[in-house]
Amino acid sequence: MKNNLKVERAIHDLTQAGLADKIGVSRQSINAMEKNKYVPSTVLALKIAKLFNKPVESIFFLEDDD
Amino acid sequence: MKTNYLLPNKYKIFGWILFILGLIAGIFIYVSEYESDFLDVKVLSFYNDDAIFSAQKDKGFFKIIENNIIDELAALAIIIGGLIVGFTKEKVEDEFIYKLRKDSLVWAIIFNYIILIIAIMFVYSMTFFDVLVFNMFTPLLFFIFRFNFLKLKS
Repeated sequence: MKNNLKVERAIHDLTQAGLADKIGVSRQSINAMEKNKYVPSTVLALKIAKLFNKPVESIFFLEDDD
Repeated sequence: MKTNYLLPNKYKIFGWILFILGLIAGIFIYVSEYESDFLDVKVLSFYNDDAIFSAQKDKGFFKIIENNIIDELAALAIIIGGLIVGFTKEKVEDEFIYKLRKDSLVWAIIFNYIILIIAIMFVYSMTFFDVLVFNMFTPLLFFIFRFNFLKLKS
């Protein structure tokens, strides 16, 4: 799964730590997601989408091999 | 997220202190082959059949024997300290950190047993006894190193 978390973060002018703080996770989680090393749980994906006020599908995308 | 089996973060410092003190004491006892009458106490032995390590003649179940408990204290400090360090919550505990912890545990168990397999094949006689002693602590040790390494890296 891919995501455009980094882009959304830039639009809202948030650091990794800032975003992590807002949704109550560790900075490492945000970093791992941006590097595509970690697929977040549905709960976390929904929280991020809610914060950016966008549907989940516009932040997280399936890849061909998923 | 619900995380099971984890203590609150405030115990972590206490765990580190106990763990590091235990390690220092353990290494000191091992290297210096420390022996003294200090901390010689009477202890309850569930089963005593001891010909190698002391001159105890009191064989059988549930005997009160005399033993120097310095090595027992060091071992308990390492194990209890290590468990606390490994299984207390991080400052910010979330699903990713929990996954890191689980991955580190899997890695540590596999790595530990690979080392043990190699030791079984290539280490013999009383030296192997040292391997057994170290192996009491290495799963926890590898786990803690791996977890903190992964956490710092990400």
